[in-house]
Amino acid sequence: MLAIENLRVVYHDVISVLNGISLGVQEGEILIIIGANGAGKTTLLRAISGMIDFYNGDIIEGDIKMGESSIKGLDCTDIMKRYGVTYVMEDRPVFWYLTIEENLKAASFSRWDKQVKADMEEVFEYFPVLQPLRHKKAGYASGGEQQMLAIGMALMTKPKILLLDEPSLGLAPLITEELFQIVKRLNASGITIVLVEQNAHAALNIGTRGYVVETGRIVLDGKAQELLENEDVREFYLGSGEKERKSYKDAKRYKRRKRWL
Amino acid sequence: MKKRTLFILSIIVVFAFLGYGSIFAKEIKVLSQFPMSGPVGSLPEFGWGYIDGMNWVNGEGGGVNGKKITWYLEDFRYDPTVEVANFNKYAAEHSREELIMATGYITGGLKPLIEKVNVEEKIPWLDGSYSTEIFGEEGGPSKYPYYYSLGATYGNQIKVLMRWIKDNHKAKGKPKVGFVYSPTAWGKDGTPEGIAYAKQLGFDVVAEIEYPYTATDATNECMQLRKAKAQYVVYHGYSGAASYTAIFFKTAKKVLKGVQLMGTHYTTGRFPILVAQEAFDGYVGVATRPFLDAVPRSATPMDNPMVKLAHDFAKKHRPEEYEKGLKAGGIKDMFLYMEGLTYALFIQKTLIEADNNYELSREGIKKALDNMTWDFNGMFGGKVFSYKSHTIPMMRIYKAKVKMAKIQTAEGEKMVPTGAVVPISDWINTDEIKW
Amino acid sequence: MIDLLQSVGSGVLVGLVYALLGLCIVIIFKASEAFNFAIGEFLIIGSFLFYTLFFNETIPWHKALQIGVVIFLFFAFILFYDKNLRLRIAFPVGMVTGLLIFCFFFFGLKLSSLITSPLLRFLLAFPLGLLAAGMFGSMVERVTIKPLLGRSPISMTIVTLGLGFLLRACVQLIWGSHSYSFFLDLPDITLEIKDLLFLSDPIWAGILSLIIFGLVIAFLFRTRWGLAIRATSEDQAKAMAFGINARFVLLLVWGISALCIAVAGIMISNFGALSAGMGFVGLRALPVVLIGGMDSIGGALIGGILVGICEALAGAYIEPLGLVGFKEVAPYLLLLLVLFIRPYGFFGTVRIERV
Repeated sequence: MLAIENLRVVYHDVISVLNGISLGVQEGEILIIIGANGAGKTTLLRAISGMIDFYNGDIIEGDIKMGESSIKGLDCTDIMKRYGVTYVMEDRPVFWYLTIEENLKAASFSRWDKQVKADMEEVFEYFPVLQPLRHKKAGYASGGEQQMLAIGMALMTKPKILLLDEPSLGLAPLITEELFQIVKRLNASGITIVLVEQNAHAALNIGTRGYVVETGRIVLDGKAQELLENEDVREFYLGSGEKERKSYKDAKRYKRRKRWL
Repeated sequence: MKKRTLFILSIIVVFAFLGYGSIFAKEIKVLSQFPMSGPVGSLPEFGWGYIDGMNWVNGEGGGVNGKKITWYLEDFRYDPTVEVANFNKYAAEHSREELIMATGYITGGLKPLIEKVNVEEKIPWLDGSYSTEIFGEEGGPSKYPYYYSLGATYGNQIKVLMRWIKDNHKAKGKPKVGFVYSPTAWGKDGTPEGIAYAKQLGFDVVAEIEYPYTATDATNECMQLRKAKAQYVVYHGYSGAASYTAIFFKTAKKVLKGVQLMGTHYTTGRFPILVAQEAFDGYVGVATRPFLDAVPRSATPMDNPMVKLAHDFAKKHRPEEYEKGLKAGGIKDMFLYMEGLTYALFIQKTLIEADNNYELSREGIKKALDNMTWDFNGMFGGKVFSYKSHTIPMMRIYKAKVKMAKIQTAEGEKMVPTGAVVPISDWINTDEIKW
Repeated sequence: MIDLLQSVGSGVLVGLVYALLGLCIVIIFKASEAFNFAIGEFLIIGSFLFYTLFFNETIPWHKALQIGVVIFLFFAFILFYDKNLRLRIAFPVGMVTGLLIFCFFFFGLKLSSLITSPLLRFLLAFPLGLLAAGMFGSMVERVTIKPLLGRSPISMTIVTLGLGFLLRACVQLIWGSHSYSFFLDLPDITLEIKDLLFLSDPIWAGILSLIIFGLVIAFLFRTRWGLAIRATSEDQAKAMAFGINARFVLLLVWGISALCIAVAGIMISNFGALSAGMGFVGLRALPVVLIGGMDSIGGALIGGILVGICEALAGAYIEPLGLVGFKEVAPYLLLLLVLFIRPYGFFGTVRIERV
């Protein structure tokens, strides 16, 4: 349903991050995108959700298609309203100074209707830990609770496609596990999920398909299980390769560049 | 051959003659500066009056015995620094023989120019400042020989007000007087003299309050005056046009019931009638010019020849602005227009006197000014003043009469203020008063 | 004792107006981390818009036409620019609005001739005038602030500085710079008990400011738009990601801010007169927000009242000792004191801001 064709994105007119990336998302799947730091995963999600403008990035080539129509260059609220694409940013994008209930209400801003109250209860059903905290400021909640809240907020927008950006960042393995189980449940309820992860092992375990991104290009794709077994993936992303690291330089490339610019 | 020699010779003669002529015909240059924009509001009327006046002087007015005046007009934006800079520029650009007279308008510019004008340039300088410090007893012709003011000092104005209180005080006991002034270069000017004189007359000076022009509220100032039980309040501030003056009058009207509000030259006039409306009713103030411009303008009495002249000038040269009145781009107060005209006519008069009796140079003009006696086209009710004190020592006491009235305008019926400041005394020559 | 009560009372009344000024700064600061230095010019323009309505002052057609055309272009631009395929809507809406505004300026609404009761006229003209002021505020935001969305707040602050100069020149061009008489003629509610006297105008100013303050707070904390504003204030990127149109929220915030400034301007004009030189009043907001805290709405209220009381007390007790002009300095001295104890203001969030 979502297709990205040969996309190139440049920040500040100089830093080229995506260099002709192409991928497709099929309805009802959990798509896993893994890659090293700076491979362009976040940028990819930004480009899809229409937030790229805000970060001074430009799509200079390629197209993003939702079904038949192009959503390239649309405003992010438009994309959300019309195509049901919701982007959950990395690092727990909740509003610290609002209470958890207000957070959920704020997220339902784009579709304000009578259903909001009911939907909110539904979110609390998904995440029962949030229920007792509903009148507490989100800033005081723990990391796991905040991440759950973030996903809950995304649910409030009634998404068809959910773009999750490293939900496991900074969370204990147990909570990550719980979170991924919920993601799976969401998928089962009919939401297509695009999951960008560093924690490749856990992600690939729940995913249907996966892509490996490196320096703004797809270098590998296949069924999640296949990827889990792939030698290179194991070596670079799962940290369990048998051989000595051959190209350690590649993994470090972005870091070095970042220092210079 | 002979023909050619003759031709060349004639050319040389012609050029020599022309050259000689150009040396002989030195120009008469005068620099005038008015605050036509800036923090107190836009007052282009000064410039309009001056321009119309000068054009008339150079045309129908006959110039200076036939010679034309080259005049320069600058807007110094109510900024002393600009005024000083402008003068320095012109003083450097033009020769001392040609630039023989200059005018300014505010005290702030006079002070930094003291050395430059009186010692270095020795150029007669007419000014709109009524500063007591410069033109009063402390200063005066002996100290600042080249400074001339076109009005009476603030000190004298306040003293005249004190005399009015003395004559009109009906309540029992000594009159209790309060003073309000603003914190600017000229703000306090004249009040020490006024207070000293009030004490000399046996008044109680009950309050001295500084009222800043950034004020948003005058309740406290008025409450202080009320607490002090002042019967007379002298408001010594700039321009009745400014909003802080309106704040003061509106508050005072309600807080200080039965108190006589008084003021100096710049508070008296047409502006406060338009802006403070009925709160201005009953105000008593002095002014050094015939402030007869009524609201509506058609009610203005025309028996003063100078006022009539100014109105005729405005009607002839600026009919549109004259009609507009308070609307943007109109002549808001005829005083401003008349003031520009006054400068033009005064410059002409001085230059003619100098040309007739002395010479057209800075020194000649100074002599002409020092010995001038004039009735100024009957501006002061036919009275003649002498310019020995370097001030025109004439003033008059006015009382404001304001009434709200319903009038029919293009936009429908409207309540508008009508009235004027009405003279309640004859012209007073402060030179003749024994204080 | 009565003196003290008198000073504090009148200080509080004026302080409430200052609080409103502070609020305008605070909500803009919260939403975009920029300080609006053009507040004085917003104040004048807001007051003039109300003046035009209430006193039925029309301006010449050639000026009104210019304003109408600018507004037409603006609306065409905002609608066209914001959503990609709205040319059909943008053009007629812009045309109609521009025409309406032109009529509004040129013909006036003839309120003063239609309605004789000043109170009724005020009740009608006040919301309309404020609406116009709010619209003006959002218009300015669209043109100057929006292109800077996502950039450093410093650049927005600098833009407001320049904007101030531009707007001041525009006001002088349209309305000239002399004073306009300003009498609201609200019902007289002067409070006089023995020596205690509170005039009608300041009381009205205090009441109306408080009401508007309350309305703004209610709007921020009780409605979904308010929630959107608060969310956007915290993080524009997050808000956009969750479907809140941060650009529109910013426009809304500037509109509300301009509306509040207009109220303060109208109240202060009513004390005296309205003139283009009144801009400096807006800068009273500076000590107010710095005392209260740059990002605290409650702080703006407390700060405003404190500044008002401080001015009144300095005027009543310190100036008579011979320190004339102390009233002007007193709020800043208080500010200095507060900043020594709490560098981020009384209620400001503890974080390091570079403003």
